[in-house]
Amino acid sequence: MPTRPLLTRYEDDLKLFPDRWNLIGLAIAIPILLAYPFLANAQWLTVGNLAWVTVVGAVGMMMLTGFSGQISLGHAAFLALGAYTTAILGEQFGLPFWLGIPVSGVVAAAVGLAIGPFALRLEGLYLAIVTLGLLFLVNHTLHSLPDITHGSIGIAVPMHTWFPAEGTPSPMGTFAQPLELGPLALSFERKLYFVFLALAMLVTYVGVNIQRSNTGRSMMAVRDHDVAAAVMGVHPARAKIISFGLSAFFAGIAGAMFACQQQYITIEPPFDLNMSVQYIAIIVLGGVGTIFGAVWGALVFVALSPLAENLFDALKPHIPLLGGLSSAQQATLLFSLIVVGFLIFEPLGLFGLWLRIKRYFLAWPFKY
Amino acid sequence: MISQLVQLVVSGLALGAIYALIALGFVVIYRASEVFNFAQGELLSTGAFLMVALCGAGVPWALALILAMALTGLLAAGIERAVMRPLIGRPIFVSAILTIFVGFFLRAMVIIIWGVEPRGMPTPWETTGVIELGEARVLWNSIGSVVAGLLTLGAFFLLIRYTKLGVAMRAASADQEASLAHGIPVGRILGTTWFLAGMFAALGGVFLGMFPSSVDSNLGLIALRAFPAVILGGLESPLGAVLAALILGVLEVLAQAYLNPVMGHFGHNFHGVFPYLVMILVLIVRPYGLFGHQEVKRA
Repeated sequence: MPTRPLLTRYEDDLKLFPDRWNLIGLAIAIPILLAYPFLANAQWLTVGNLAWVTVVGAVGMMMLTGFSGQISLGHAAFLALGAYTTAILGEQFGLPFWLGIPVSGVVAAAVGLAIGPFALRLEGLYLAIVTLGLLFLVNHTLHSLPDITHGSIGIAVPMHTWFPAEGTPSPMGTFAQPLELGPLALSFERKLYFVFLALAMLVTYVGVNIQRSNTGRSMMAVRDHDVAAAVMGVHPARAKIISFGLSAFFAGIAGAMFACQQQYITIEPPFDLNMSVQYIAIIVLGGVGTIFGAVWGALVFVALSPLAENLFDALKPHIPLLGGLSSAQQATLLFSLIVVGFLIFEPLGLFGLWLRIKRYFLAWPFKY
Repeated sequence: MISQLVQLVVSGLALGAIYALIALGFVVIYRASEVFNFAQGELLSTGAFLMVALCGAGVPWALALILAMALTGLLAAGIERAVMRPLIGRPIFVSAILTIFVGFFLRAMVIIIWGVEPRGMPTPWETTGVIELGEARVLWNSIGSVVAGLLTLGAFFLLIRYTKLGVAMRAASADQEASLAHGIPVGRILGTTWFLAGMFAALGGVFLGMFPSSVDSNLGLIALRAFPAVILGGLESPLGAVLAALILGVLEVLAQAYLNPVMGHFGHNFHGVFPYLVMILVLIVRPYGLFGHQEVKRA
């Protein structure tokens, strides 16, 4: 199945919004997204915040695994680096969060760029296992620096809106305090929602632009056939290293956002192999190789865990054995079933499903 | 001093023998179908739980071991038939990811059926019995896992070297289409490789679950520690995987005893990441492992 309609001009290939449906969709989505924090209850507001964190992380994963085809099990390592950078900068230096988040991205990207050259020599599963090793090494290092990371106890993440003056103790930062803005009551979570929404939008926009630019296309060329790409003038090593750096940068930002959302973080969990695997699953679920897939995969994934809880609560009286699972394990079980189903029946994930639906209505009343 | 070293080397070899069984399971499947089976660890814990359950039901130990291995093998072959077979011809990435989720599923099933509380693994000898080697005291369990590991590995090498099935397996791993053209039932061979991998996993699980550790739902995480052995040995080489597993097992135990204490904060649990460190250093020099061979690429 072709993933898009036949194009006849290069300009069509480079359009940000390939057809007017994208614009209509965006026009409908924006008011809903802005009204969401005032309509949702506390649980779903948290889900919304986590969803934007995951969108940013998934776009990062898509750069590396989706665009340039490098399988990485170390994504959680970059998230951990980002999260801990934000936490430490906030705690030790009182850096405001809007500076801490980009700095976290840069720190993670620096590590990613440092790893990149080593990764060039490795392929496929060798790379996957080496990046898994990287995850273990990063977590081990975080554990072994208890003076600044507080080791396995965890660390609080203050969110300062400005450099705190000496002698004004505000352990969680000024951003955590609720704000009245005319008729709108902006609690911490709601404020966070708007910051995260903006960040996720920005990252998605950057992601789409990378995908349709020279950088992204050279990554995809390397993914599809690196020797052929090299023959055509693409520099495979450079494309791979850039994708490592970009992926790590976005992962670092996602980690920083995650830290802000949690307000108190520990190393393992959450930054373990499970998290890396979840990000892989998200992009597989969404559809490998598209930003659409990263965004929708992330949204569906995050929305699944409260749904799984409800589903299992409803099922428990009927199936006695399910009671032994924790809620995280229930979500994992449901999610593994869904991903296995997608891998077997719809390799392009949600993106493929969306294409089928779109195709059906475009061709209506004909079958195809 | 020397006795401590002997003691450590033997327990390292015991750990290495278990790594070797896990690594061999990976390699057998990888050679046949280029699938990296991340569910291997969960097969291992399934096997261990089956063993405990069978012994609990009063089945004699040796028979229970054979039954547990066979059942786990059948489970693995069933997974291959139901889930992996439809994915033949798709990118290896997809099947590798799929096995991660099969692993999650198996783990959830183990927790649903057997719960999360740890159990002791029954042994035919005294569970905490030791044997004196000079001044070193070595657990019977360690000796048992080394012997069982070596016997199984020997049997496996005889199988792939001298039997018709072994030749068919090697042919299928070299070229699936050519093997089909020669009348080798590649599908059934793939099922057999998964069966073997399941058997190795169950055996590893039984010996891993023995004292000083116990059988619980986290047993499967050991597979994460066996990855470096597989990669270090080169994904296609059973012999390489076994050697690398034994070396890494000994190195890990030695690192725990001699390196951890001298490294301060960084040394805490350092032995857990040490195999990965060794693996990364070796891969920088040899990106396809010690015994793997470089793939020639054509445009």
